[in-house]
Amino acid sequence: MPFTASPLVGGDAYEMAQRLALEADAELSALSEAGEQAACLRRHWDAIAGLGWMATMVAEDAGGAGGDLSDVAALACGAGRGGLPLPIATACVVTPALLAAASARDMLAQVAEGSARICLILPDAAQDPGAAGLRFDRTLEGGVVGVETPPDPTHLLLATAAGELLLLPVDSSGITQNLSLRIDGRLAADWHCAGVAVAPDQVLARGIADHVARARDLGALLTCIEGVSAMGAIIEQTIAFLSDRVQFNAPLASYQALRHRVAEMYVEYENLRGLVAHALREAAAADALPWRDIAFAKLRLGEAGRLVAHETIQMHGGMGLTEGVAAIRLARRVMMAEFEFGDRSFQASRLLAQAA
Amino acid sequence: MEVDYAAFRREVTEFARTRCPPEIRAVVATYRKLSRKIWQPWQQILHAHGWGAPSWPKRFGGTGWDPQQRHIFDEVMAENDCPPQYHHGLRHIGPVIIEFGTPEQQARFLPGILSGEDWWCQGYSEPGAGSDLASLRTAARREGDDYIVDGQKTWTSHAHESDWMYTLVRTAKEAKKQQGITMLLIPLDSPGITIRPIRTIDGWHHVNEVFLDKVRVPVANRIGEEGEGWTYGKFLLERERLGGANVAPALKNLERTRELVAQELTGETHRAKRAALELRLLLAEAELRGALALGKEAVAAVMEGRPLGLLPSVLKLSTSVTHQHVAEVAMDAVGERLAPRFRRIDGSGPNAEAPGIEWVQNYMYMRVRTIYGGSSEVQKNVIAKQLFGS
Repeated sequence: MPFTASPLVGGDAYEMAQRLALEADAELSALSEAGEQAACLRRHWDAIAGLGWMATMVAEDAGGAGGDLSDVAALACGAGRGGLPLPIATACVVTPALLAAASARDMLAQVAEGSARICLILPDAAQDPGAAGLRFDRTLEGGVVGVETPPDPTHLLLATAAGELLLLPVDSSGITQNLSLRIDGRLAADWHCAGVAVAPDQVLARGIADHVARARDLGALLTCIEGVSAMGAIIEQTIAFLSDRVQFNAPLASYQALRHRVAEMYVEYENLRGLVAHALREAAAADALPWRDIAFAKLRLGEAGRLVAHETIQMHGGMGLTEGVAAIRLARRVMMAEFEFGDRSFQASRLLAQAA
Repeated sequence: MEVDYAAFRREVTEFARTRCPPEIRAVVATYRKLSRKIWQPWQQILHAHGWGAPSWPKRFGGTGWDPQQRHIFDEVMAENDCPPQYHHGLRHIGPVIIEFGTPEQQARFLPGILSGEDWWCQGYSEPGAGSDLASLRTAARREGDDYIVDGQKTWTSHAHESDWMYTLVRTAKEAKKQQGITMLLIPLDSPGITIRPIRTIDGWHHVNEVFLDKVRVPVANRIGEEGEGWTYGKFLLERERLGGANVAPALKNLERTRELVAQELTGETHRAKRAALELRLLLAEAELRGALALGKEAVAAVMEGRPLGLLPSVLKLSTSVTHQHVAEVAMDAVGERLAPRFRRIDGSGPNAEAPGIEWVQNYMYMRVRTIYGGSSEVQKNVIAKQLFGS
C-alpha cells in the first residue's frame, strides 16, 4: 500500500471540507478566465458560509457555534488537501477573534451567518515601493496591496499599528479597490484610500495590539495546518505519478535517485507535521497562545514547504510547469503560505530578538 | 502502579547534578573524547545507585523502567552533560544475552556489563561488508569444543580498550547470505588477535581493524544456535530504534554552539557573520523542535504498544543532518582561527595548545552521523520502500 497521509485532525468536518475543496478545485481548474474563477469562488464562499464555517469559532451568544480551535483545525486540514482557494484562516479564526476582542457582537453575528464578507488588513500589510502606506489620523489615507480577501468584500477591517481596530464598508467614499488572483488562485485586493472619513463608531476598539498579535499567530497556526495537509497530498500524488509514468522502459518509481528525493520530502513533511501537531496541542491546552511554537512551525513551513513544492515540480518534469496537475496547484498554495501571517524573516527576527 | 513522571524527572535531575563528577561532566561539556577512563567510573556510580541498566528487566539487575522513564533518564543525562552510558554492553549485547543467552552465559557476562568491569565492542563490519553486512566473510569452523575463527573486522569502535567482542562470523555458505551466520563472544586477549588503530579525520582514536588469525573460541561462547546469528543481530538493532527519539544531546550541542558564536564573533567587525550564523542555528533549532515532537510521539507509541512505523528512520535522517549543520556553524565560527592549527608539527596528535580545537575535531567527527547506525542512503531506501509500497 502506497503512502496515505493521515490528517492532523480528522473526523466528519475534515471529510466534508476535503470533499468541498476537491470539488472546488475540479471546477476552478476547468475555468481559464479570471472573472469566471472569481464567480466560482463566490459560489463556494456562499457554500461554506451556508455550512457555518465562519460561525465555528464565534460564541453561541453572538450567533455562532461556540466551537474551539480543533473544530477549525479539522476544516483547515480538509480544505488544505484540496487547496481550497478561500481565506479560511482569516475568515474562520483571525477576523472573529478580533471582532470578539472589540466586542462587536452585531458584526460577529453577520460574519457568522456569512452576510458580512470582511477583508482584514493587518498592521504591516504590503505596499508598493515609494507609495504611501495606509495612515489613520481622523481620516484614512494611502494604500496597501495584495491583501487576501473573500469574494465581493463588504467591509474593510483595519488593525492599525497603534492598536486601533476600524471597520468600514468598502463602498465608503474615497475607497478604491483592485482585485487580483494570487499564485494559489485566491483573491487579493489592493486598497487605496483618499480622505476617507472615519466616524467614531467605526473605530471598534483601541489598545488591542496584543489581540492583533495573538490573532495573527492563530492565523499562522491555521496556515501551517493547511500547509501540512497540502504537503501530505503532494507527496501522495507525487508517488502516484512516479509509479505510473514510464521512461526508459521502467516506472520512474524504480529509480533510486527519485525514490530518495521522495524520502527527503517525507522527512521534511514529518518533521513539520510533528512541530505543527505540537503547536496545536499546546495552543489548545495553554491559556496563553504558544507564540514561539507557532513561530518555529511557520519558519519550518517556509523551509519544508518550499522543498516539497520544488521537488514535486521537478519530479513531474514538464508536467510540473503546468497548472493542469493537482499536485502543482497544491505546490503553489504551499509557496503562497510562506507570505501569510509573517514570513520566515518575520518569524526568525522575533525568535532571535527574544533569544538575545 | 501509576508513575509520577514529573517526580521521576526531578529525582534523575538531582542525581545527575550531584552524583556525576564535575571532571566527567567537563569532558562532555567541552566535547573532549569519551573513553573507558571516563565511562567506567560513571557506570560504577550508576550501578551503585541501582541504575546501572535502565533498559534491563529487574531480575537481571536492571531498573525495570518503562520506555517513558528511560527516555526521561536519557534526556536528563544529556541536559546535564552526563555521558550517555557506554552502549555496547548495556544496550547491544546485554539484551541479546538476556533474550537468547543460556543461564550460564547470563551469569557469566551480565554482571560485568552492569558493574562496568567488562568492556565490549562490536565485530560486525568488514572490509567487504559495510551497509551490506550480510556479505561478511570472517569464517569460523568447528574443531571439537571450539570454533577456529579467521578473518578481519573493521571500523571496530573501542576495540583498543575492550575486553570482549561480540562478533558475527560465517559458519556455512547458504543460498541466502543472511543464513549461515553465527554470533560468537570472543575475548580480545585470545591468541591470534591483532588490533590496529585506524586514523580518522577528526584526530581522535575511536576505530580499529581487528585481525583474527586462527583464533580459538569455545563453543560455549556461541549465542543461540549456529547459523542463526543474523536473527540475533537484527534483534539487537531493532532494540535501538528508539535511540533517535532523544533529541536532548542535539539541543545541548546547539546551545553550546550558540554560546560559542557569541564568544567568538564579537563587536562590529563580526556583526554580519554573527547574524548569519545565528540564523542558521535558529533554522537548526526549528528542525530539532520538530524532531523533539516526533520523539515524543515515538515514546508514546512504544508506551501504548503501537508500531513505530517510519518514525525511527525519519528521526535518524533528520537529526543526523541537523547535528552536522550545527557542527558546521561552529566550524564557521572558529575555522579561520583553528583549522590551520589542527595537528601539532611533532606528530603527537591534535593541537591541544590551540584553545577550542575540539570544535574542529567535532566538526570532522560529525560527518559520521549520516554514515553509522544505518547510513542516510539506507534510511532513504527503507522510507521509500514503505512509501511506494514496494
